[in-house]
Amino acid sequence: MCPVALSVHDAWLSYVPGHEVLRGVSLEADAGAVTMVLGMSGSGKTTLLKLCKGLLAPQRGEVRVLGGPVIGAQRGRLDPRVAYIPQQLGLVRTFTALDNAVTGALSRVGTMPSVLKLMPENEVRQARELLARLGIGHKADERVYALSGGERQRVAIARALMQQPRVVLADEFISDLDPLTSAEIMAIVRDVVASGVAVVMTTHEMDVVRGHADHVIVLRGGEKVLDTQGVPDDEATRSALKQ
Amino acid sequence: MRRHRGAILVASLLVLLAFVLADVGLLDPIRIARGVRNLGEFAAALFPPDPSTLPTLAEAMLETIEIAFAGTAIGFALALPLSLAASPVLFGPSVTAPVKILLAAVRTVPALFWGIVFVVAVGFGPAAGTLGVALYSLGYLGKLLYETFDGVDPEVVEAVRSVGASRSQLARYALIPEAANGILAQLLFMFEYNVRASSIMGFVGAGGIGFYILGYLGVLRYDLLLTALLLTLLVVVVIDRASSVVRRMFLYQVTPMPQHARLTDVLD
Repeated sequence: MCPVALSVHDAWLSYVPGHEVLRGVSLEADAGAVTMVLGMSGSGKTTLLKLCKGLLAPQRGEVRVLGGPVIGAQRGRLDPRVAYIPQQLGLVRTFTALDNAVTGALSRVGTMPSVLKLMPENEVRQARELLARLGIGHKADERVYALSGGERQRVAIARALMQQPRVVLADEFISDLDPLTSAEIMAIVRDVVASGVAVVMTTHEMDVVRGHADHVIVLRGGEKVLDTQGVPDDEATRSALKQ
Repeated sequence: MRRHRGAILVASLLVLLAFVLADVGLLDPIRIARGVRNLGEFAAALFPPDPSTLPTLAEAMLETIEIAFAGTAIGFALALPLSLAASPVLFGPSVTAPVKILLAAVRTVPALFWGIVFVVAVGFGPAAGTLGVALYSLGYLGKLLYETFDGVDPEVVEAVRSVGASRSQLARYALIPEAANGILAQLLFMFEYNVRASSIMGFVGAGGIGFYILGYLGVLRYDLLLTALLLTLLVVVVIDRASSVVRRMFLYQVTPMPQHARLTDVLD
């Protein structure tokens, strides 16, 4: 039995009063497992991930990470143990792949050296090694805007891993990739999971769900309509999505 | 009915415009005719330009550029931290609101007035002009920069915040690099603007070519005035071209990411 790394209990959230984006959603994500969240556009998937990261606070309910309440802050520091990869990756386009990867170590570096971009040598070396492990070591010094979609994905993963995370939240981050690159990226994700990290990702790729999900949740209209360990059959998923 | 209302609105505006033009003296045909004649005489007196004072003017022009350059640099150094303090990404309204009010207050005062203030403070000469341009630049650059920061992709901000970055790290690793293009563009625009602003700083004794422009106007030496104006025009055009080269060198093309497929497309 894997320990629960992330739990959401009865979360409610609305951006506009009276229009709830999340309606009493609960989930538990285990360490060393991939939890996939499915749902149509507007079903609340991204909001749920932001809630788990602490970028948003639920109006009702609770989010716990590694046994404690999630560190949510309007403008202060967030918990680096929870990595978040947004839908469009959120990479700094004028930075190199290496600069973006090293950004993941910011919480371990003092303000003054980091502001002067004097990152510790061991962090820079670690970021280079990570990029090499992810197959883009030769692109480390190239600016991100010049990289392909798959290479950018790898940079975003490297930045997340530089945080030394216990939980990785990824929002539809393989949606733009061709099947081969997508399979390569998922192999990397499986390696991360094998090291005991909990991965929660939203996706709409049924092949990815079939091949890699340990736990599937379906959201519809802000409500959880399916929660199953293992992979549900396509008919059950389709029915849950469209009911 | 709506068309009718539109016609009434246009007619009302035209009547208002006629009243205003009359009030400022632009509907006086005798005055207009005299003005046209005077302009003709003025234009004739401009030519040919007299280049005899060119060495003196070139020196004054160099001083004008120095005022603009140093003023823009000091203004930027002050505006950058203040614009970050005015960004709602980093601070709450208790910090951003007073900073925005301060920048608006500085911006309200024209550069020439700041020139007068600093002539009083530090005496005649380019130091007063530089400080005047710096303060004016602070007001404008501050606003332009915080608006540039407001436009930074929120996903980048969220991603960098998510690694556990502090406020200053967020500024250094998300806001400033993502807004780099905008910052460079605003800076070049401000420098170009300041070259023009600095060329009239001499009107109030704050250094630069404006001192000579005002002097030539005073002694009715319009041929010398034209030389000064042509020199100013030449410098503005050269700086404009140089800015374009800098922009092309540093601005990058962003490759747009492809649109996501829809879940329904995949399942159906």
